[in-house]
Amino acid sequence: MPFTAKPIVGGDAFDQACEIGRAADAELALLADAADQAACLRRHWDAIIGLGWTTTAIPEDAGGAGGDISDLAALVGGAGRGGLPLPIATSCGVLPHLLVEHAEVLTALAEGRARIALVPAEAAIDNAAAAPQLADGRLTGTVVGIETPPDPTHALLVVGDALLLVPAGATGVGVTRYQRIDGRPSADWRFVGVAVDPAWILAHGEGVTHRAAAARDLGALLTCIESVSAAGALIEQTIEYLLNRVQFGVPLATHQALRHRVAEMYVEYETLRGLAAQALRSVGAGDPGAWRDIAFAKLRLGEGGRFIAQSTIQCHGGMGMTEGLQAIRLARRIMMAEFEYGDRSVQARRLLDDAARRAA
Amino acid sequence: MAAPIDYGAFREEVRDFAMTRCPPEIRAVVATYRKLSRKVWYPWQKILFAHGWGAPGWPREYGGTGWDLKQRHIFDEVMAECDCPPQYHHGLRHLGPVIIEYGSEEQKRRFLPGILNGEDWWCQGYSEPGAGSDLASLRTAARREGDEYIVEGQKTWTSHAHESDWMYTLVRTSKEAKKQQGISLLLIPLNSPGITIRPIRTIDGWHHVNEVFLDQVRVPVANRVGEEGQGWTYGKFLLERERLGGANVAPALKNLERTRTLLAQELADPRHALKRSLLEERLLMAEAELRGAQALGQEAVAATMEGRPLGLLPSVLKLSTSVTSQHVAEIALDAMGERLAPRFRPTDAAGANAEAPGIEWIQNYMYGRVRTIYGGSSEVQKNVIAKQLFGS
Repeated sequence: MPFTAKPIVGGDAFDQACEIGRAADAELALLADAADQAACLRRHWDAIIGLGWTTTAIPEDAGGAGGDISDLAALVGGAGRGGLPLPIATSCGVLPHLLVEHAEVLTALAEGRARIALVPAEAAIDNAAAAPQLADGRLTGTVVGIETPPDPTHALLVVGDALLLVPAGATGVGVTRYQRIDGRPSADWRFVGVAVDPAWILAHGEGVTHRAAAARDLGALLTCIESVSAAGALIEQTIEYLLNRVQFGVPLATHQALRHRVAEMYVEYETLRGLAAQALRSVGAGDPGAWRDIAFAKLRLGEGGRFIAQSTIQCHGGMGMTEGLQAIRLARRIMMAEFEYGDRSVQARRLLDDAARRAA
Repeated sequence: MAAPIDYGAFREEVRDFAMTRCPPEIRAVVATYRKLSRKVWYPWQKILFAHGWGAPGWPREYGGTGWDLKQRHIFDEVMAECDCPPQYHHGLRHLGPVIIEYGSEEQKRRFLPGILNGEDWWCQGYSEPGAGSDLASLRTAARREGDEYIVEGQKTWTSHAHESDWMYTLVRTSKEAKKQQGISLLLIPLNSPGITIRPIRTIDGWHHVNEVFLDQVRVPVANRVGEEGQGWTYGKFLLERERLGGANVAPALKNLERTRTLLAQELADPRHALKRSLLEERLLMAEAELRGAQALGQEAVAATMEGRPLGLLPSVLKLSTSVTSQHVAEIALDAMGERLAPRFRPTDAAGANAEAPGIEWIQNYMYGRVRTIYGGSSEVQKNVIAKQLFGS
């Protein structure tokens, strides 16, 4: 019996997310037109809202399901395996964490009235562009490549020490929407002297900075869990392909070079899985050093995840260069995960600074 | 019902013992990568034995501690963290459990106490020139003559043979269709007439492995463990028990910490700033891999305690920690190599600079190459993993 990956956190939520992910991925693969794809993603987003996914981590007294980190892990794990190209980690985990003191916004998020894109303080900007800044009540700056839900209604920005919820339709806000390489809805946001309504400033001060840092770690952890889950599916599908693809009269799976490549993928996968599971346990136990476990997992994801993704492409030969296979779409997703919630250099910097601090 | 074990308190107890009872000169040998020999191990085993901790893995009735697997894992971890030598394993971890499981009462009485108190030193006579990864191809033959076996053949890669009293030895007692059959396990005193031990010169400059020639060596039949022809089963039993060996990542993490300190000291001068930051980043990547292995090691311990199968975990751990340990050794080499690698000498060479301070880092790098070769080479592990993953 060939390899089947076990989820880090399984259960009904995992299975449901995986099933929806697969369905969405399969439907999208048949659509060539960007508008059709956007409509398809929107339909799935609305279905997810109907299923209450965004309420998972919202506290019960704020009308949510009051779930914990393992409930989120099940959800993002399933979505990762299925290849669901929607911002599940951000919308179900990171945003509720940032908005925990803002019940009205949470309710709007949970009910699907607000479709919120997160613009963190470290969001990418083009060279020579200015990061968003708030001065004299006006917001100015441009960020690029921001993952969004379909048809975003708001951007939630961390600017300096302020948490800011800006309507997408406000005067001076320019949103250029497109689909990212991993199929996710995405946008560049341009803020040109946007007059900030005081009601948009949800909070400011040190609390915002701390909460934003914790939210980023949560996002990094969920991204790791999602990617590990996707990596497991990649190995399964690569094995399946090698067992069935016949060249020179024998299945590719008979060649030791390819078998060893898959064994190496598996070792990377297990290492990543161990790191992500350890980080999940630390977060669950409230360990103050949990950020370190998360940073190590995300750091390794950059190396190991990419190795698995690239090996998948290589083992599929010419088919590995096409969009036709789910394995290859998942490989692109893992490639993108590197750039979410702090890439390798960001995590390495934090960990090296920490090591230096401890040595001193 | 017994009270639940307080593992945190146990860890502290072991740490306290290690720090107060393991002599500093022994810890210094470990911390500076000097060769562990009987001379270092013996006094440490005596101390452990006197404390009742001579055999962490054995049942109480044979003088063991009766610890559960998690306690043993903690013990191994703390020992590594405190620079205490890992216990000499051939008697305690390899042969001892086989004798306990399959040995006669007389063999238990004769051999277990000497292993426990460190008086008897054992080595393993398994590999042969024609039987490495493919151990079952071994050809050293034992012919029965009355109440003795006459053993003829050659063993190789025999670690510590030059400082051992005994060799537990796999020999062929009959030729069967299946090469795993017809193998027996004999306990051979190394002072027997007909035994010649020759050192093998290895690239790390240490003498640890040997060739052992057996020329018409007479071994009493009473020194055979278990049934004739069942040696392969006993060998496998031993390997099964060792499958968790890779779960202890603590020595590798300790080594990584030492290397981090080395980088800070060796490359403190600002002219080394770029080199230092490049090496520190590589070390961090290695740390991430080791932490992943550490998490998998804990999974393996938990699975074993709950009676769940280990699956591919031992192979994954062996493969990943061996490679990562080599990366760490390479980082130290790159930090020191420019000024120290040229001074590294072949085996037993003397002369100017032969003992240059820090030379052990170069030696450690050379020695480390064996990690992906012994105990099932990386290639063998990949075969094992692939076979399972592909279903055939």
